[in-house]
Parts: sequence; C-alpha cells; structure tokens
Amino acid sequence: MTAASGSRAIAANALRSAGILDRDERMRDASDKPGGRKGAHKTSHKSRTSHRPRPIDALTGKDQAATSSRTAMLASRLAAGDSLAIRGAAKGPLGRLRRNALSGGATANTPPSIVELWKEFVKRKWNADGKFLNFERIAEDEYVQRNKMWMPNSAEKELSVMFKLASVLFPEVQTISLAHNNLVSGRVLSRLSHYLPNLANLSLQGNRLSLWKDLDYISGRKGRLSQLRELILLDNPLRNNEYGKDRERYKSEVARRFPALEMLDMEPIPKIAFDVPHASTSHAAPAGPAPTTFPVEMGESFIAGVDGALLSGFLVRFLPLYDNQRTALMDVYHPKATFSFSSNTQIPIRARIEGYRHSKQMPHQRKQDWARWGAGKPGGSRNLNRLAGGNVDRLVKSLHVGNEDIIKAMAELPTTKHDVAGSPEKFCIDAWPVQQGDSPQLFVTIHGQFEEEPSQCIMSFDRSFILAPAPEGSRAKQSGWDLMILSDMLVIRQYSSHDAWRPGPMRVQAGDPLSITPATAQPSAQSARSLQEMLAAIPEPQRSLVMQICQRTGLNVEYAVQCLEGNAWDVERAVANFEQVKSTLSREAFL
Amino acid sequence: MTTLTKNDIEIATRAADQFTRLYYSTYDSATRVDDLPNFYRPSSALTWNGRPFQGSDGVRKLISAMPTTKHEIQSFDCHPIPGTQPPNLLITVSGIVTHGRGPTGNPPAASGKSVDGQPRVFSQTFMLVPDPTAPPTKAGEVAKYYVNSDALRFVG
Repeated sequence: MTAASGSRAIAANALRSAGILDRDERMRDASDKPGGRKGAHKTSHKSRTSHRPRPIDALTGKDQAATSSRTAMLASRLAAGDSLAIRGAAKGPLGRLRRNALSGGATANTPPSIVELWKEFVKRKWNADGKFLNFERIAEDEYVQRNKMWMPNSAEKELSVMFKLASVLFPEVQTISLAHNNLVSGRVLSRLSHYLPNLANLSLQGNRLSLWKDLDYISGRKGRLSQLRELILLDNPLRNNEYGKDRERYKSEVARRFPALEMLDMEPIPKIAFDVPHASTSHAAPAGPAPTTFPVEMGESFIAGVDGALLSGFLVRFLPLYDNQRTALMDVYHPKATFSFSSNTQIPIRARIEGYRHSKQMPHQRKQDWARWGAGKPGGSRNLNRLAGGNVDRLVKSLHVGNEDIIKAMAELPTTKHDVAGSPEKFCIDAWPVQQGDSPQLFVTIHGQFEEEPSQCIMSFDRSFILAPAPEGSRAKQSGWDLMILSDMLVIRQYSSHDAWRPGPMRVQAGDPLSITPATAQPSAQSARSLQEMLAAIPEPQRSLVMQICQRTGLNVEYAVQCLEGNAWDVERAVANFEQVKSTLSREAFL
Repeated sequence: MTTLTKNDIEIATRAADQFTRLYYSTYDSATRVDDLPNFYRPSSALTWNGRPFQGSDGVRKLISAMPTTKHEIQSFDCHPIPGTQPPNLLITVSGIVTHGRGPTGNPPAASGKSVDGQPRVFSQTFMLVPDPTAPPTKAGEVAKYYVNSDALRFVG
C-alpha cells in the first residue's frame, strides 16, 4: 500500500464513522474523473447499499450519472427535505421527509446527516452585517472537530457543499474567507464560481497554493469569478515566489484573470471603471411586450461631419497599397500608431444556410485555412475572447505599436485583393469626427470582403480606424496623406454576403411583413452633434475660418465649407456672398 | 505624445474584458431600457446600422424599440489609442445576435432554408473615453470611462 492510498484509507475510515461514506463504499479519490468513479462503483461490493450515493454527492448534484433511479429518488427527497433541491422544490412536511431520507437501513439514533452538520456550521459562520462567511481555520473549529466533519484530503466535496449551502442560505454573501485551511490545490475551489458567481471578496491567505493553475479553478473560462473585486493570496507559496521574482508580473498575472479586480493582497490594482448598471434602481419588467420589429431600417453608409471625398480619397489610396505594396504604408501610420488583427473563425449560421462554402460562384471557399493567418502563433490573432485569460506576453506581442512594427507584422499576413472600385456595394462605411482634447480625430469603421491570394478564397472583414489630420511637416503629409492612422484594428471573418447591410427593412422572424414604420427621423442627431465635433475633422487653419462663418451666418459646417471654398477661403468674401444668396438657401443649410 | 506602456495595454485589455461582458449582458437584460444608457453621455454619438442616434437619450429611444436580443461574443479586441493619458480605448466586438424568438419564433410553414429568425453576425466598434467630470472614487481606479462613439452593423 502506497502512502497515498494509505492516507486515503484512513480518511475513508474517518468518513465512515462520520456517516459520510457508506460502510462498504470505497473512498473515492477527489481527483477521480467521472469515468474513474464509475470504475470504483463497479469494483465495490455488491451489497444492497453499495449504490447509495454519499449524501454530499446528492447535494452537489454530482451523483446523477452514477446512481440508480431508487437512490436518485432518495437523493432528491433528501435534497427536498433540506430545501436545497437541485431538481424541484420542497414537497412536504420536513420531518417525514427527513426520516424517509435517512431510513435507508438507519436506526432511530442516527446522528444528524452530514448535510445538517454543515448547514449548522455555515449558519454559525455567517456575519449578516458584513455579508461575510468566515470559513477560516475550519480544521481547528471546535464544532467541526467534535463532529469529525473535516477531512483535508477530501476538502473538495466538503467545500462544494459549503458553497452550495451558502448560495441557498445566504445568497447575498459578498465575502468569503478560506484563510488558513492548508489548501494545497485550487481544485477544492472548483465549484465556488458555480454556486457563488457574484462573489466580490475572497481571502485565500495562509494556504499552500503554489501554482498559477490553482487560480484557474476560479478564473478559468468556464468558472470565472468575474465580479471579484478583492482577492488575498498572501502567505501562499504562489504569492511568495512570484512576488519575489517579479512583483509587477505577479500583479498582472492575477489581474488578467479577474476583470473586475480592484484590490490584490490589500494593494489597489489600476483599473478602468464604468457606470455599472445597478439592478436595484431599475424596475424589472418593461412596460408592455417587447417590440417585434426593428426600430429602424438598415441604412446606407453613414458619413457625417467629415468631407466624404477626404475619407474616400484616403481609402481609395490605402486599400490598394495594403493589397499590393504594404511597405509603402510606412508613412501613413503615426510613429506610435497601433495595429492588430484578430480572426473570428466561426461559420455564421446564415452563411451556412446560404451554402456559400459550396457556391459555384465562389469555387475557392473550401481552400480557406486559418493557419495562414497565424493561428496559434505568438503575435498572431488577437482575439481577446480567447486571449484575455491567457498569457500576458501574447497580449502585448499581438498588439503592434509604431509604424515599423506594424509594417513588419502586416508583411506576414496573406496578400489580399479589395475590389473597392469595382463593387462599392460590397463595402459599407460608418464614420464621423470625434473631438478629444485638442486633437480632432475621425472614427471610422469599414465592413467588406477581400480575396485572399493566392488561394482566391473570399473572406469578410471589419476594420476600425482612428484617423487624424496629418499635420504639416509630418511624414504622412510629406508622403501626400491628408489623414494619418493612429489605430487600425482588423477583424477577419468567414465569408458572409454584403446582403447583410443592403439598405431597407429587415425581418425579425420569418413571415414578418417587410413594411416597417418609416425610419424614425433623427434630424436632431446630426444637428445636435456639437459644432465642435463636426469641426473636428477639418484641419487648421481652415477650421477656425469655418467656425467664424458658422458663427456669423448660422450656416452649418457643410455649407460653411462650401461657401468658403467658393470664395477662396476668404471670410469676408464668403460672408458677402452669403448675404447675396441667403434668401435662396433652404432650411438644411443652417445649423 | 506619450508612448504606450505594457501597463496601458494590460489595463486596456482588462477594461475591454469587463466592458464587453457588462455591456452585452445589460443589452440582453429585462432592464436594458433603464440600464444601457448609463454607458453613454449626452454627447455620445452612435449609429445602429447606419442610423444615427444621439447620446444617452438616443440609446434609450433605440433600445426601447428593439426586439429582445441575445448576444454571443465570438471575438473582441482593444487598443489604447495613442495620444491622451489615460488613453482612449478602441474596442471592436464580433459575434452573433438573435432577435425576438429566433428560429423557434418562425411560423411552422417557414422553410428550414429560410435565414429569417436566424442569428445575425454583428460587428460593433466603440470608442471609450475617460469622463473628466467623474473623478476616480477608489484607490487604483484610473478613471471612469464612457462610450463616446459606437457604430454597429449587421454583417452576416
């Protein structure tokens, strides 16, 4: 007998005497896979009670796969009696159910069930004022010792029960301390986020957690404490080692696992906050049924507050260079610009129904291969949906900063062909100016498609830019660019048709009539958009001239620009000209 | 212009992680009409499929007339935009959205080949900026950010 199995046997004996395990049931290793557990059942004695689940299993819902219908029923009754039913609510007088639940060969003197014991324990540890469950030093607790409830080697089950009881008895719990419990693996916490996904504060101080993997049980993709604001890992080997090695790295490794984290080991973590909606302030049900039609029809490209020619001039030059001569784009990127691309590899349902992958018009669709887009390589696709919980280095490496790094990264991407001139309907642009500080910027999104070369496979893309007027003397300006790129974010998708943005009414459900209430007129949107914002895209010194014209004539930005252009950017001539023609101008010329 | 640090990138990534989670769970919730406008300010500019709406009130108007939604994020990305400090953020989200009752809401006679009612692919780009009128309330809080610009399109 190995040391491990020896200690398991000791633990099993203890559990039997505590009533957790049936007399003839083997101790199950907490690390057993479901299949392994099944195996354990098969080899156990074939006595009448050998299939009875541990009450603890019934509570955590882990018995379902491996139990007979008889025991499943018992388990659900037990659960019902405790008002902790996993399936269905309590059905009858508690006492009778309790007796039934315990009647599986038990005598009248059966001690309280282990669930009852833990329930009592959880209640004792509840601090209502602090919404705090204090599960520190469980092994040293007098009540736990007296009832022989705590087996460090099977803590996963016990803690799962405690978490579930907590979620039922005290759903408002905000804080849990599991400090000083000699926990050696994060596995024991694997059910925490399942039962208490909104937990705000957690202390694991003074345990023996030593690996990042241990944290993944509460920060992994499936079970993440996404609301966790404070975490204490002090006095764990993990914290001591990593903090000693590289303090900043330790912090960011923890922080990236918990998007809401504000305090780590009692030190603040820098973070950006949002006006998080407060459920309590809103009255749940909306008035009336939800609408069954879309609020407005699909609209054309929306370009406002910026000279359309300026923007199209930029794109008509940028995209062919991106296709044919990426190195020539060195100057259009600001020396500190950012670029990244990410791939969304899912095949869209509508595209699948339309059968684009097998379309005769597009015979190369099946040659599509994400490997060409650097799938899995460092510095490749920056899909944060996959990376956010991942390696910090990869987050940083896949964001290319500075024009030189950007051009280098782009050179590794497959060659493309954007047919902007040939089929403009296959592209859709939304753009408007944003004024930030003293620097006017343009917010631009483009959706469209390109042909990947040499495969000739058609792919869809979404590309978002932050552009700024190229200042006089800048490298961009010297290379003939009126706009330069501050940020460029590219998303590559499986092909979907541009029908998706064909202007007009859209159906919610099949059979809905396409006649829709006319697009809610939104004249206010543009006129209410601040003058400042509209002006932002116009470079100095013209901007101040436009502003003067707007102020003196009441013309809107678009007409003010026209008026100035027609008068060689001479303000006085423009105003005089305005006075001559103002009676002929329609309402839309004015602010 | 200050150079972006590794720290800027990490903070931006976490912010985007939390923002996308909060934003779409709010959008899909029963309290969306009251809660979604909180992410915006009166000066915010947004378009929904090319149609402009202005500010928090515009968001309220838009979302009040929207069929129920269920969003699934498939990919997202975030850059700190070089320039101001703390940096503005550019966030792009790609995913699918089901409106109303989805395919199960289609009449029984509808063909299985019909795309109506099926989830659409959406692409939504946000520019998030710090709110100078909302100073940090907690230690470690860099700033409170809001949606300054938001452009959504159905793209598949």
